[in-house]
Amino acid sequence: MSIVLERTGPSEATGAVRRALTSDTGARIASYLCLLLLWQLIAMYEERFPGPGEVFGFLWDEVTAGSHGGVVRGEFIEHFAATLPRFTFGIAVSLAVGLVVGVLIGASKFAEAVLKDTLLVLLALPAIIWAFLTQMWFGLGDRAVVITIVLSAFPFVAVNIVQGVQAIPRELRRMSSAFHVTTYRTFRHLQVPAVTGYFFAGLRFAVIVGWNALLLGEWFSSSEGVGWRSRYWYDANRYRGFIAWVIIFILFIVLLDRLVLVRLQRHAFRWRDAHLTEIAREAEEVDIGVPGA
Amino acid sequence: MANPATAIDPHAGAGLSVAGRRRVRGLLGFVVGVGGFLLLWALLSRFIVGPFLLPPPAEIGAEMWRILSSGEFFEQFVPTITRLAYGFGLALLIGFPVGYLMGTSRYWRAFFHDMVMVAGSIPGITYAVMSLVVLGISLLGPVVAVGLVAMPYIAINVAEGLDSVDRHLVQMSEAYGRSRSRIVRHVLVPSVAPFAFAGIRLSFALAWKVEQLTEVFGSSSGIGFQIRVEFEDFSIPGMLAWVLLFIIFMLLIERFGLVRLERYLFRWRLEDQA
Repeated sequence: MSIVLERTGPSEATGAVRRALTSDTGARIASYLCLLLLWQLIAMYEERFPGPGEVFGFLWDEVTAGSHGGVVRGEFIEHFAATLPRFTFGIAVSLAVGLVVGVLIGASKFAEAVLKDTLLVLLALPAIIWAFLTQMWFGLGDRAVVITIVLSAFPFVAVNIVQGVQAIPRELRRMSSAFHVTTYRTFRHLQVPAVTGYFFAGLRFAVIVGWNALLLGEWFSSSEGVGWRSRYWYDANRYRGFIAWVIIFILFIVLLDRLVLVRLQRHAFRWRDAHLTEIAREAEEVDIGVPGA
Repeated sequence: MANPATAIDPHAGAGLSVAGRRRVRGLLGFVVGVGGFLLLWALLSRFIVGPFLLPPPAEIGAEMWRILSSGEFFEQFVPTITRLAYGFGLALLIGFPVGYLMGTSRYWRAFFHDMVMVAGSIPGITYAVMSLVVLGISLLGPVVAVGLVAMPYIAINVAEGLDSVDRHLVQMSEAYGRSRSRIVRHVLVPSVAPFAFAGIRLSFALAWKVEQLTEVFGSSSGIGFQIRVEFEDFSIPGMLAWVLLFIIFMLLIERFGLVRLERYLFRWRLEDQA
């Protein structure tokens, strides 16, 4: 008995270790370690590029309001406080404009024929153009940044709403009118549920596209906010400050996207995507190109 | 009258088929839409905003014509499109093996999962400025940026393609003693290729936006660089002319190049779906 235990003891332990290493979590941890290693290698190869140690040290100071040789204090909170109202306001306006334009194009054949090509060009215009134009139009300040967000993000909302409105099954609409269902009830039970999923998809695109637009807008026409802050360190040739801020704004958008927006979208689309395999659904969620173009 | 359905279509009025009428309506909408847009723009520029801040369409049209006819456009277009092509080459080179691993092994799927999922939401400015910091002002910057942007799309689509391979077909091939390489060649590749191509097409719009941004930040040639030059000259017509010409060419490539090519290459598949 004891001999058996002695025999299985170590092999069970190595089995557990192997299972832990090959589990999904193990794979994930391994992938992050590999990324860090790659980063370290790049930093060793390229002098100007700071390694992870330096950057995280800087990040810690910036977030905990420590001092960089007495230069700055509490930058993290201060710049997010400047950025978040702009971002929220810009996204809210994009949603409103996109919803109106989308419903218009989706519901009327004439509006579709007239506005479709303009929308296509708007989808294709890179955010940098709006950042440049708004700087020339409005100078430095909040207005340029917010308008950059709206002009870049609203076409993505509109195009999703169009898809949603056009996806309302015609049979159901006909049946509702044949059975004299009231306008309010068709709206509440047919139009709204059919468009909700597409609305959340549009919201997700708007947030991702809008965040990029906000960073560009702040980079070129602001004197505070996360985009400006990263430019500040970039211009000062302090790349570790720049990269620390890059990490902050990647983390912000990735957490917002994966923890909130993807879940909303998945929940609202569960009627449509239930038959998809997990990989197919993920492929659909990764795609943030130009839907329908 | 290329459409043979015309003869039997009971609703055919004035000698036009349904498709023909739809095309006429589409064309009419296009003319009204673009015409109305230009008119609105011209009025805004003339009466409300002023021609300096919002140049009238005619001025931008003239600028576009000047850029095109002087050959300047193609001079800048060639480096841009070449970098885009190299970038996609890089993306395919990395995306295929990564997608293969993700599609065939649970471990590697978990390994690459986060990187692939996250890549799409990383702001384009990150790629642009990071490649500038690491590589400096070089030809390589935009290529690497495009590669990084497009790679996850290709990887996840290849994985999805492998996931969708008909397992019965693979089993049957094995039962009839086909060699591994023939199964790959005749079953796996034809199933995966349409997905990989869809990955390219989906990431195309995103990739050229990031490429342009990279050129704006750190390049000494290409369309993005020209946009930067015009911005620093405070020339709104020049900037808009460059970007509009670029967009027109990109949409043409996408519509008449990629979409057609996809339809042609995978026509057997479309028939299958119809």
